[in-house]
Amino acid sequence: MLKKMTLFFGLVIFLVWGWARAQTEHRPPFPITQFTLDNGLQVILSEDYSLPLVSVVITYKVGAINEEAGKTGLAYLLENLMFQGSENIGRMQHISFIRRIGGTLNAATMEDKTIFYQTVPSNQLALVLWLESDRMKSLEINASNIQRTKIDLIEEIRHRKTTDPYLESSLLFDQYLFPDFAHSHPIFGQEEDLRELTVAEVKNFYSKFYCPNNAVLAICGHIDKRKTIELVRKYFGTIPKGEKVTPLPPVQLPEKEAIDRTYRDPIATLPAFYLGYRIAPAKSPDFYPLKIAEYILLRGKTSRLHQRLIKKGIAFRLEGGIEEKKGLAGFKVFVVSTNEIMKERSTKEVLTEITRLKTGLISEKEFGKAKNLFRIDYVHQYASCADRAIFLAENQLAQNALEKLGEELDKYLSVSTLQIASVMNKYFTPGRIFLDVKVR
Amino acid sequence: MRQKSRAFFILFSILFYGWTALSFSQERFRKNAPDPDPLPTLNLPEIETASLSNGLTLSVIKRENLPLITVRLVIFAGELHSPEEFPGTAAFAANMVLRRSVKHDSEEIEERVESIGGQFYASIFPDFVMFTFTFLEEFLDTGLEIISELILQPAFTSVEIASVKRLMFYDLLNKATDSEYIAKRQLDQILFINHPYSKSVYNEEVIKNLNERVLLPFFNTHYNPNHAWIFLTGNLSLGTASRKVSRYFQTWEKKNREIPALPSLIPNKKLKVCFVHKPEEKQATIFMGNILAPVSAVDIFPLLVINQVLGGTTTSRLFMNLRESKEYAYYAFSQLELFKACAVYLIRTRVRPEVTRAAVMETLGEMEKITKEKIPSFEIEQAKSYLIGNFPINIETHDTLSLKVAQIQAFQFGEALWDDYLENIMLIDSNRVFEAAQKYDFLSPVVVIVGDREILTEHLLEFEEVEVYDQKGVHLYTLTKETSDETR
Repeated sequence: MLKKMTLFFGLVIFLVWGWARAQTEHRPPFPITQFTLDNGLQVILSEDYSLPLVSVVITYKVGAINEEAGKTGLAYLLENLMFQGSENIGRMQHISFIRRIGGTLNAATMEDKTIFYQTVPSNQLALVLWLESDRMKSLEINASNIQRTKIDLIEEIRHRKTTDPYLESSLLFDQYLFPDFAHSHPIFGQEEDLRELTVAEVKNFYSKFYCPNNAVLAICGHIDKRKTIELVRKYFGTIPKGEKVTPLPPVQLPEKEAIDRTYRDPIATLPAFYLGYRIAPAKSPDFYPLKIAEYILLRGKTSRLHQRLIKKGIAFRLEGGIEEKKGLAGFKVFVVSTNEIMKERSTKEVLTEITRLKTGLISEKEFGKAKNLFRIDYVHQYASCADRAIFLAENQLAQNALEKLGEELDKYLSVSTLQIASVMNKYFTPGRIFLDVKVR
Repeated sequence: MRQKSRAFFILFSILFYGWTALSFSQERFRKNAPDPDPLPTLNLPEIETASLSNGLTLSVIKRENLPLITVRLVIFAGELHSPEEFPGTAAFAANMVLRRSVKHDSEEIEERVESIGGQFYASIFPDFVMFTFTFLEEFLDTGLEIISELILQPAFTSVEIASVKRLMFYDLLNKATDSEYIAKRQLDQILFINHPYSKSVYNEEVIKNLNERVLLPFFNTHYNPNHAWIFLTGNLSLGTASRKVSRYFQTWEKKNREIPALPSLIPNKKLKVCFVHKPEEKQATIFMGNILAPVSAVDIFPLLVINQVLGGTTTSRLFMNLRESKEYAYYAFSQLELFKACAVYLIRTRVRPEVTRAAVMETLGEMEKITKEKIPSFEIEQAKSYLIGNFPINIETHDTLSLKVAQIQAFQFGEALWDDYLENIMLIDSNRVFEAAQKYDFLSPVVVIVGDREILTEHLLEFEEVEVYDQKGVHLYTLTKETSDETR
């Protein structure tokens, strides 16, 4: 009886321990508090007391995808205008305030979001909230600000187009891979579109998208939670809600059919090619094995394509991987070779490796390596307070349940070789997109 | 009725006034920047140090928040230790060490590194080299085993030698397409002339001379545990780290080496303007700098403040003047580079060709101002505020934290730049900065301009004299207003 009792007791402890362990493992490795203000602003707080720092990230759900034809570059222009002053803050003062206290800051426009982030000593949290709330509430948009920003951006476009040899071909390739306007036009816009943008158009874009109900605010670091909530309410609570932003309709891409094109690059000195496949988007069950397949093919010096192309000396440059677009995803490979013969060989090698992966023959060692590399990259996504705040804001924007972020990593790590073979066969079909870049 | 109307009017007025006042008071806080809270105490990560019996020093930097370990191994064998006739040997040795061991070839090493999610690379400095390896924390044993194998049992095969030389050659060739790289290399060549630090300035041509006969003596002389320091950053104790490091490094044999003391460096004494032609470069890239030597630990702090005031960020004097006010420059920054034997102040800017001279003169003017006038207290306080606030940001990740600690130890700055850093910055005032500005030579820099000869020559003629160099650092001729036609 005693033996049975001990066994039963042991079993209970084991089950409880196992359950508790599973719960712990699934939880993200840092605390998260979430709430939404009456005006719709979603707020995430995450404490980290290692150093007296705080990172504030504000992400607006707007990017190049929200631009209409003929109005490209509007989202990027607005990102830049956000540093040109608001009702209570002068031109470039946002930068000065942050730099003077030793802080760092930056911003980025992406296809479906625009991010502003800064890290400062934690006693300056109120200052950052004051700065961010002022430009959300009352950005200074006038003809001279716009003109000054346009000049800078046009200069940037010209510089990039004349110095980056494969820029034009990569933009062209995107148009083939994602053949709808919203997903394939350049984030920095077209020079002629930027030039024609009016003050009214910029103002409308700002009022429509730069409002609290279209944003996520993430604050990570050495914070007092109660006080931080008070500050967020004080600075952002009275900003009026904007009009409801209508979600964009889902994109209908044409049926998969092979595209094979040639482009003559006026400034490239070496031939190259792009190869691409339309694949399942993020959050779909197929995305997880596709991501691990990307690591097997392309991540690190021991990846299959690196071994086949760079190590063998038949290619000079190899880039690629999964590119996530809003509701879409593509798998891209970009290879630069020293001459046409090597380029032909590189193309064959890439296709051979893709075919080989379709068999699902992956050694345990190779599979473990790909997952470990994925894991370390995943961890690096929240290595600093700013990284963590961006990671949380992006997940919130993508409507991923933050409390289940721990499970996300597990989903990648539990992928099987069978699943890899299955998705490779499903998406890496002859309906591929190929762009051959020839030198003039 | 009238009474009711009046009462209603009064009530309405009170309510309206109250609402307006409330709204107004709600938004008054938006008018001015809020005051900061008191700064929380900066608790620096714990660092514990021990020594192994073979002389290898080990430091553990405690960081608990990520499942990663970063190992940095500093070997005190930098570019200055390369043989006189073979510059580049230190970089060659470091790159060779990364390749393979007696037990495992380069492919197997790469495979083992990536199997633990790792990334392994070497950084070469004039005073030392640093090997950095970051991997998932559960693979500490494998990580240490890989490093020890590469350091203790390297295999310098002819295949690897050829491969490393090829990579170094193309890497240098590729770097030389960057105007900033060319400008910095030329500046260092002039500043460090006739000093062992000059061996850190070389071009791809020197790679051809490197071989096993150069490599082996260098490696055997300088790669010793008693001239090395290993730093482990992550969630581990000194006890565990000592046990594990001992296990993998105890057979590394202690050796003595004789290193002559570094001769002192002589700062440039007279303004010197140099030009390097880079075809099809539309702008002028300007690097200016001079040696500050010898720099004592106490002088580093006022010099850091001077750098901050002058050009540390986009709010500093150079940026505000050259870019925002004069609209000459795309950027304008200064920095302080630290070496064991000296410091170098460096100013870098990229300007429109037609304002090249004006930009140089404005920069010299800003430097002169720092030596002639006391910097106002508010500017000093702003610079200090930046340096104090930025310090924790620079030690936030495993990578940056271990780099900072390793550099402090490698330069032997000790506690001054770590535990006492904030206090040392706080103590700086206008007088202390002014003293430092007097003590060191800020007024006779070497100026290097990189750009297209076709575009820049007419603007270079605005200077009294310009020494013209090729991209390999060979002095071609001197350009003056009088001799411009003949010398070209």
